[in-house]
Amino acid sequence: MPDADVFDAIASPVRRAILDLLRGGARPVHDVAASFSMTRPAVSQHLKVLRQAGLVAEERIGRERHYRLDARPLRTVVDWAGHYERFWQHHARLLGELLEGSE
Amino acid sequence: MGAIEVDQFVGRPAQQVWQALTDPDLLARWLMPNDFKPVVGHQFTFRTEPVPQHGFDGIVHCQVLALDPPQLLRISWRGGTLDTTVTWRLVPEGTGTRLLITHDGFDDTDPAQQEAMRILGGGWRGHLAGRILSVLDEATHEGGG
Repeated sequence: MPDADVFDAIASPVRRAILDLLRGGARPVHDVAASFSMTRPAVSQHLKVLRQAGLVAEERIGRERHYRLDARPLRTVVDWAGHYERFWQHHARLLGELLEGSE
Repeated sequence: MGAIEVDQFVGRPAQQVWQALTDPDLLARWLMPNDFKPVVGHQFTFRTEPVPQHGFDGIVHCQVLALDPPQLLRISWRGGTLDTTVTWRLVPEGTGTRLLITHDGFDDTDPAQQEAMRILGGGWRGHLAGRILSVLDEATHEGGG
């Protein structure tokens, strides 16, 4: 089971939208806030949750803090989700081979 | 709530596919060792390797919920953190059979299962997940991780 923090982080539609926005490159807080018509403190709070889950990294550019997407923790989510699908695909193939291989 | 759906064409008549689903020895050969009986209400287990990090002791506890030869078999599927249902539907197709497998009943109240199912089950996969996954691929190429 992946880290609960990652699931909590992506459970919020706003935070998923922020991740999506950051795909386009690192952005400062006010930029993110403007994109969602949200106050800076509200955006900062979401960014904090994302940062704690390791989905967003902070970097200082000049006098501003920019936030950059790091999607790697999502790998565990996707792996877990895909586990049962792969399980059934694999065994369904085995069933087919078992029957088709016998006359 | 999403479900996992897998389908597989088997080039054999439904009756033979049904046998592979309901004969415990055949079932063991493509799925797992078991003490299945084709009787509604029968309780049985599948046994496999434990996965301690998922809290799974290697035993899947099952009960036959529905049996309609040679069209439908539904069993409960409980193991580790899962309390779910698996359904097999057999649909004749040409000289063979289309086998439709549905694994559902994932826990709505468990955020992990909920999120995982959302990713697998439609909304997310087609929309944001597709984009997130492409980011993952990029990140993997760039970051080697």
